Amino acid sequence: MENTEKKVKFFDKVKNNDIYKKWVKSPFTYVAAAMLLAIFQIITLASTGNPWGVSGVFAYWGAWLFEGVGGNVDKWYYFASSGAQSTLENGIMNHAGTWRNLGIIFGALATTLLASGFKLKKIKSKKQIIAATLGGLLMGYGARIAYGCNIGALFSGIASLSLSGWVFAIGMFAGAVVGSKLLVKYFM
Amino acid sequence: MNEVIIDCLGEACPVPLVKAQNKLKEMAIGDVLIVQIDHSCAMKNLPEWTNKDGHNVEVEEVDDGEWEVIIEKAK
Repeated sequence: MENTEKKVKFFDKVKNNDIYKKWVKSPFTYVAAAMLLAIFQIITLASTGNPWGVSGVFAYWGAWLFEGVGGNVDKWYYFASSGAQSTLENGIMNHAGTWRNLGIIFGALATTLLASGFKLKKIKSKKQIIAATLGGLLMGYGARIAYGCNIGALFSGIASLSLSGWVFAIGMFAGAVVGSKLLVKYFM
Repeated sequence: MNEVIIDCLGEACPVPLVKAQNKLKEMAIGDVLIVQIDHSCAMKNLPEWTNKDGHNVEVEEVDDGEWEVIIEKAK
């Protein structure tokens, strides 16, 4: 009993603490976030030898899942390269990208929990389910045939001084314009 | 003075922003628009836009992960 009282007092104190409010509760500015992304991109490139990518990892998760239920992706064009084959053989536990993606997911969870902003959101309409499923499939498929998403192809591409990053930016901008029009048409 | 509440709970960005912009257009100066949101990025882009457009705005945390953006139309 005494213990719970102490806990309540502790969190009430933390809630009003200026350092907590500034660093944990309120969101960073876009500039601060951009600086952090740039720094971590440099660290990623320096420590793993590859620029940051997110969606390629999901393709490997899919392959491991498929192998887990008895499938085989050896003959698939996407996984045909020796690099892809050795990544698959090394397994999910030795896959740096997997750990990084898990870090992003759990880091994001920790951030919302620390800011007491966690909430399970209700689904408002069937439209949301359809749009989310369709959008997810298109993004996943698009990211794989483009060999990257807005991180691997856009951010890392441009940071590597590659022209492909800028081409991707043009395509993504056009897609965002069309997407916004559809959003206003179906979700307002 | 009118007070209008729009329920944007469960709606992702930029839906709350566009809904607020559309609603505010129909309202008169001095009216108050309350936008209920649970998508944290709306807590940033809604006040950003209202400040730029010259209205008075205040964000209130009503529950864990739930906010009310209170906008007073100023012009």
